[in-house]
Amino acid sequence: MAVCVAVIAKENYPLYIRSVPTENELKFHYMVHTSLDVVDEKISAMGKALVDQRELYLGLLYPTEDYKVYGYVTNSRVKFVMVVDSSNTALRDNEIRSMFRKLHSSYTDVMCNPFYNPGDRIQSRAFDSMVTSMMIQVC
Amino acid sequence: MRKHVGDLCLQAGMLQDSLVHYHMSVELLRSVNDFLWLGAALEGLCSASVIYHYPAGTGGKTGARRCQGSSLPAEAANRHRPGAQEVLIDPGALTTNGINPDTSAEIGRAKNCLSPEDIIDKYKEAISYYSKYKNAGVIELEACVKAVRVLAIQKRSMEASEFLQNAVYINLRQLSEEEKIQRYSILSELYELIGFHRKSAFFKRVAAMQCVAPSISEPGWRACYKLLLETLPGYSLSLDPKDFNKGTHRGWAAVQMRLLHELVYASRRMGNPALSVRHLSFLLQTMLDFLSDQEKKDVTQSLENYTSKCPGTMELITLPDGLVLPPVPFTKLPIVRRVKLLNLPASLRPQKMKSLLNQNVSTKSPFIYSPIIAHNRGEERNKKIDFQWVQGDVCEVQLMVYNPMPFELRVENMGLLTSGVEFESLPAALSLPAESGLYPVTLVGVPQTTGTITVNGYHTTVFGVFSDCLLDNLPGIKTSGSTVEVIPALPRLQISTSLPRSAHSLQPSSGDEISTNVSVQLYNGETQQLVIKLENIGMEPLEKLEVTSKILTTKEKLYGDFLSWKLEETVAQFPLQPGKVATFIVNIKVKLDFSCQENLLQDLSDDGISVSGFPLCSPFRQVVRPRAESKPVNPPEGSKPGDPSHVKTLEAILNFKYSGGPGHVEGYYRNLSLGLHVEVEPSVFFTRVSTLPATSTRQCHLLLDVFNSTEHELTVSARSNEELVLHAGECQRMAIQVDKFNFESFPASPGEKGQFASSEQLEEERQEARGLEINSKLDVRWRIPSLKRTGEASVEGLLNQLVLEHLQLAPLQWDVLVDGQPCDCEAAACRVGDPVRLEVRLTNRSPRSVGPFALTVVPFQDHQNGVHNYDLHNAVSFVGSSTFYLDAVQPLGQSACLGALLFLYTGDFFLHIRFHEDSRSKELPPSWFCLPSVHVRALEAQA
Repeated sequence: MAVCVAVIAKENYPLYIRSVPTENELKFHYMVHTSLDVVDEKISAMGKALVDQRELYLGLLYPTEDYKVYGYVTNSRVKFVMVVDSSNTALRDNEIRSMFRKLHSSYTDVMCNPFYNPGDRIQSRAFDSMVTSMMIQVC
Repeated sequence: MRKHVGDLCLQAGMLQDSLVHYHMSVELLRSVNDFLWLGAALEGLCSASVIYHYPAGTGGKTGARRCQGSSLPAEAANRHRPGAQEVLIDPGALTTNGINPDTSAEIGRAKNCLSPEDIIDKYKEAISYYSKYKNAGVIELEACVKAVRVLAIQKRSMEASEFLQNAVYINLRQLSEEEKIQRYSILSELYELIGFHRKSAFFKRVAAMQCVAPSISEPGWRACYKLLLETLPGYSLSLDPKDFNKGTHRGWAAVQMRLLHELVYASRRMGNPALSVRHLSFLLQTMLDFLSDQEKKDVTQSLENYTSKCPGTMELITLPDGLVLPPVPFTKLPIVRRVKLLNLPASLRPQKMKSLLNQNVSTKSPFIYSPIIAHNRGEERNKKIDFQWVQGDVCEVQLMVYNPMPFELRVENMGLLTSGVEFESLPAALSLPAESGLYPVTLVGVPQTTGTITVNGYHTTVFGVFSDCLLDNLPGIKTSGSTVEVIPALPRLQISTSLPRSAHSLQPSSGDEISTNVSVQLYNGETQQLVIKLENIGMEPLEKLEVTSKILTTKEKLYGDFLSWKLEETVAQFPLQPGKVATFIVNIKVKLDFSCQENLLQDLSDDGISVSGFPLCSPFRQVVRPRAESKPVNPPEGSKPGDPSHVKTLEAILNFKYSGGPGHVEGYYRNLSLGLHVEVEPSVFFTRVSTLPATSTRQCHLLLDVFNSTEHELTVSARSNEELVLHAGECQRMAIQVDKFNFESFPASPGEKGQFASSEQLEEERQEARGLEINSKLDVRWRIPSLKRTGEASVEGLLNQLVLEHLQLAPLQWDVLVDGQPCDCEAAACRVGDPVRLEVRLTNRSPRSVGPFALTVVPFQDHQNGVHNYDLHNAVSFVGSSTFYLDAVQPLGQSACLGALLFLYTGDFFLHIRFHEDSRSKELPPSWFCLPSVHVRALEAQA
């Protein structure tokens, strides 16, 4: 269902970005990149709220003709961005939410790896397969 | 209509009135469902409210416009698309002309004016109304733009972005390309305004692409390039490669790469190849990690194409709009991991004279130790290396590089960047295999002046791009200092020898580094000349030369000088101008121990009865010494030496210290070492040494068992010119008649007078001196005719105390005179019946008085079969007493006693003169009382 999944570091550079191979990869890069503007905006708006009670899920960042971009930010300001096909109307907000949660836990696993250097690109195979499963589910 | 009245009021600056009119028109229009007009009226209402709320204007640059321009839509439209405005706005305006303004409803000011939230709501409403008309797209866009501006003031970026998002989808059909570009630029500008830099960059890039869209007949590459450059900050991309040196690259590589590619393309189409080369090299340098192999190939391919037209330089490129593009050095092509300045080779390393060095140290500080100075020095040392380079000599710097590219990398013109000293860098070209491991590269150069040189970096030409890479900017580089002192020029010496070079290197224990090694094989005792050619291959005259030698410690005992030379002849040829050759001759003399084995030396006590080939026939053989009781059984003669083929090696180092030119003035010299490796093959061995007294007391026979351990026939000759031919592996005895030595007169004896602490040492020295003396007298030489090699043999090592004692001339010299003639070796003839006068004379050379002595003459006959017949009372009678008495003899005194003998029969008689046991002083060595035997041949009395 997801056509592109990206993990973006606190400093707004990508730790991981993967998209369906059939589409133009660069397009998604642009899309995710520009969506960061919205993410930043939302985070700064949320900054006033209490940190603990902050909702990690950012919701729909912005819709385009073909895709919807959803965002999620961890407490350490690592951003997850997911691009889904907007034609897929069956997808509910809750499902997106659970997908992000899955992504988050998988990312936590990656960070727990003592051989992973925080700030490096994610090359974990487990993470990769999880993302693949998320992308394949519907497509 | 009210709307038009509102417009006019707004234009006239009557805010209150316009607000009232707008409100009324909105009410009216809602009822008639004229959405276009309704939208316009709402927009007008919003505009008026905005003016009311934000008298300063919505944007910094548009502030003035808002105040003076009452007709906001028209104004905005004017700015964005002057052509379209007339067509779309004016019709609406014209239709309102006929409606009379209704001023009846007076609405309160506070009520009429919209609150900031309401403005946005109204805008939304207006836009939604506009969107119902396809041809109202432009107005809709304008309304969006205006709403965004208002929101930007209200800092409500999220909502603003929604408006903008909407604006993007507004379909404008009949837009020219130029308008499209403008539209995108404005969008980008607005995004910038609300703080969405990435979005802004995105639209700017789209605008740039629109500039060069294929549908445009005259692509505006210049504009495109300009717009692209403006997008760079949005993609957090800086064109300064220095920003990329810090750690790993962080950013949107794929997006950035795309942008760079576009920049390259645009700049190329702009007709500025230098610019495109710069961008391309930047792309290669910074994005190397993200490029796939194929992309790497493509990028380098195109880079090479560009550089063939315009080589990449290290100059700053300044764009017309003031942007400066810094140079891009290829620090990753190849990647340098380590930089190490190499010392000169050992033979060329300059060394400082000791005395001058001390001076330097002392002038540095008046204190012996100061912690402050020590601290400073420590810091200095971080960078400075403790060796020197020499002016005019090729100096080397080693770089460990590797090639990250998937293909062979050709690096040309690789040289050093230095400062401090004029340095002539000799560029090198190298080609690194694909994805090579660490690869050592040596860059060379010649310092032209003296001083302190600092290696700052290196320069390369890769794919036609020149780059200057400074070491300071390189990440992850290991360097062990980059500053070296350059001292004045010194001459250079090259050595060539008459001997073949050897691959055999000396043991490194010596600490010296040997530049050349020569080896030679010699037989023990052989002497060879080593001709060394000294060539000055430097640029400075050679003025000074010192030669020292060092023999590496061996277990072998070495006799005589191993290496000897005369330096004067060589020095006479100095100063040696560049290119000239001087010769220097060294004599190599190998004299190792000629004794065969330690245990064989014990056989010296052997009296040598089984003499073979005794050249000098001594008529009687006398046992001089009692045989050693526990003498081991002699091994068979032929197989005596334990390991005759054992080759011994001698190693030595010849050190040439030389200096000249300006470096000499500064007190520097160079050291050149020549390693000498000598393999010593055994030539002859003396397996046994013994002495036999000769007939004369002043002489004696030295018996040497000579063993030929070579594989060739060998002749041995001694001083007396007798040649003894020895076949391979043969052992023969050789007797040499030698005069006895008067060791007391040797210069070694002064040692006796000195207070030598160790008597053993003294004794050793004396013995050595004696050995030397004996050897020089003996002069034993061997010759291998088949190889035409000669040498000498030394007996020094095998003479022991016993032998020496026998060879020593006794301080008491006994002379026996028969008939007044000294009787030493030949038989004295006498007649039967005649009395024979016998005189025994004693000369005392010892430093003290000796005697008195009593001597008895005992005649006997030797039957030549080992039987001595002493029963000669009937044959010999004494005239007078058979016993002689000698008085005490003072030092240097002489004493004589006379007697007579009468031989009654003919025959060969021997007289043995014996001491009376009691008269002999015990403290004197027995060899002092060695009297010659007298041989008397009694002949038939003549008639």
